[in-house]
Order: sequence, then structure tokens, then C-alpha cells
Amino acid sequence: MYGWIWRHLPGNAWLRAFISLAMVLVIVYVLFQYVFPWAEPLLPFNDVTVDQGMGTAVR
Amino acid sequence: MSVRILVRSFSELCLTVGTLIVLFVVYLLYWTGVKADSAASDQISGLQQQWAQSPAPRPPAAPRQPPVPAAYTEGRSFAVMYVPRLGKDWHKPVLEGTAVKDLQKGLGHYDGTTRLGQPGNFSVAGHRRTYGDPFKDFPELRPGDAVVLRDDTTWYTYRLDTRPFRTVPSDVGVIDPVPAESPFRSPGRYLTLTTCDPEWGSSHRLIVWGHLDSTQPVAQGRPTALDG
Repeated sequence: MYGWIWRHLPGNAWLRAFISLAMVLVIVYVLFQYVFPWAEPLLPFNDVTVDQGMGTAVR
Repeated sequence: MSVRILVRSFSELCLTVGTLIVLFVVYLLYWTGVKADSAASDQISGLQQQWAQSPAPRPPAAPRQPPVPAAYTEGRSFAVMYVPRLGKDWHKPVLEGTAVKDLQKGLGHYDGTTRLGQPGNFSVAGHRRTYGDPFKDFPELRPGDAVVLRDDTTWYTYRLDTRPFRTVPSDVGVIDPVPAESPFRSPGRYLTLTTCDPEWGSSHRLIVWGHLDSTQPVAQGRPTALDG
């Protein structure tokens, strides 16, 4: 996969390395900005309340 | 040839997944804290601006009871909480509501529980870990510890009555006006703090209860409980 990407990047090795770095940064940005904030509430670290308003709960 | 491609793809996949996991851990441990700290200071400076713009009406001479706070708006911060036991400089905004978004910016007030200083049970939830770790040292809380809140007009000093009490998430009775498991037996002006337990898990909740000890108008300056 990575080899395939490398071979399909234009330019010489320096340009390719630069483009690769830029791609990595973009991917990390997208992960931190959009993907992780979405995924994180699905994990259990976040549950700090006593369950309110759940179907069976009183109140 | 095809075996080589298969092995290579598989190892690339493993490397990618490993990198993703490491990045996610960095996000959880570090980045949520950075975001939460800046969100919390935004909330607090917003509150301070708002309080500065609408100075509290001069309280009538020697008010025996603090004014009843106006209804809180969902998702908006309305007070700042100070807990000297959690750190001399520990202070966090309290937002109305306990939705995921509220708790990412500060502590969350259970809507449906009473307002500050009023009869009933003022209940607040906060993260133990991630998002600035506000309640990381929750187990250190002890009876007698001060929990001080400031809204636009008044300082409210609550004193804890219990050590952290461990219960299950479905135990919604802990935020009742008079929680059955608390030492309280008659209606009063109470405080409940909740967070998760164990530190990184969600199987249980830690609870502390306290009662309103004193109030004073903000014009009289910070309560002495904060100097201890």
C-alpha cells in the first residue's frame, strides 16, 4: 500500500517525501478534528453521570 | 510473489492500526486536556465578562437568604466551582446539563436538580479522566472539605458530609432531593458530586454529598473557605 502510494507520487525523492509528510499531517488533523471526537464518546471513559432518563430508570 | 504481497500488506495494516491506536491514546491523554482547558477558560472568562457587565443588584441590607438564581440555560455555564482539596488553583465552570458536549467544557449540572443554594439537591457531574481530568483526585475528598461555587450574585460554600461513596451507574437515587444512601434524613440544601470509577472505567460511580454551609454576596469578597 505505502509502496504503491510512493510509486505514484510525482517528482523526485525529495518532493515525494514532502508530499508524504503533508499527507500524514492532513490525516492526523482529520483524525484529531473529526474522527477521534466522534469515536471517543462511544468508549466508556466518558460516563460520569448516573443514568437519567433512560427508559427503565425512575425519574 | 502473491504471498509476498499478502505478507507485506498485512504488516502494513498492522503498522497502520498500531499508529492509529497510539495517536488515539495521545488524543485522549493529551489533546482532550488541551481542548478542555481552553474551553473551560473560555467559559470562565465569558462568565466573568457577563458578571462584570451586569453588576449584581446591591443586596438589601443583611440579606438572610441569597436571591433565587434565574433558571439556567441548557449548555451555558452559570457558575464557577472551587474545591481547595483538589488543588489551590482548581476551579472549573459549571454548565447546565450533563450531555457529552457540556462535560467536555467543564462540569455539568444535572438539569432537574435544584439551583444553587436552593432547597433540594444541587447535583454536578464531572470527568474523572480525559478532558482536563477535573475530578481526578475525587477519592481524596473528605468530610468537612469545602466546595465553593460562585454565580453572578453570590458565593455558596458547601461542606462535604461523606467520603466518596461507590455505587452503580443505574443508582439515580443519589441525586434525589434527599438521597436514601446519604446521611441526610430530612429535606435541606444539599450538594452531590458524581464521577466515574474506576479511573478509566465506567462500571461504577463515585458520589460525595454535602450541605450548604454559608452564602455571602459577591460584594463581600471571597469566602474564607477558599483561603484555607
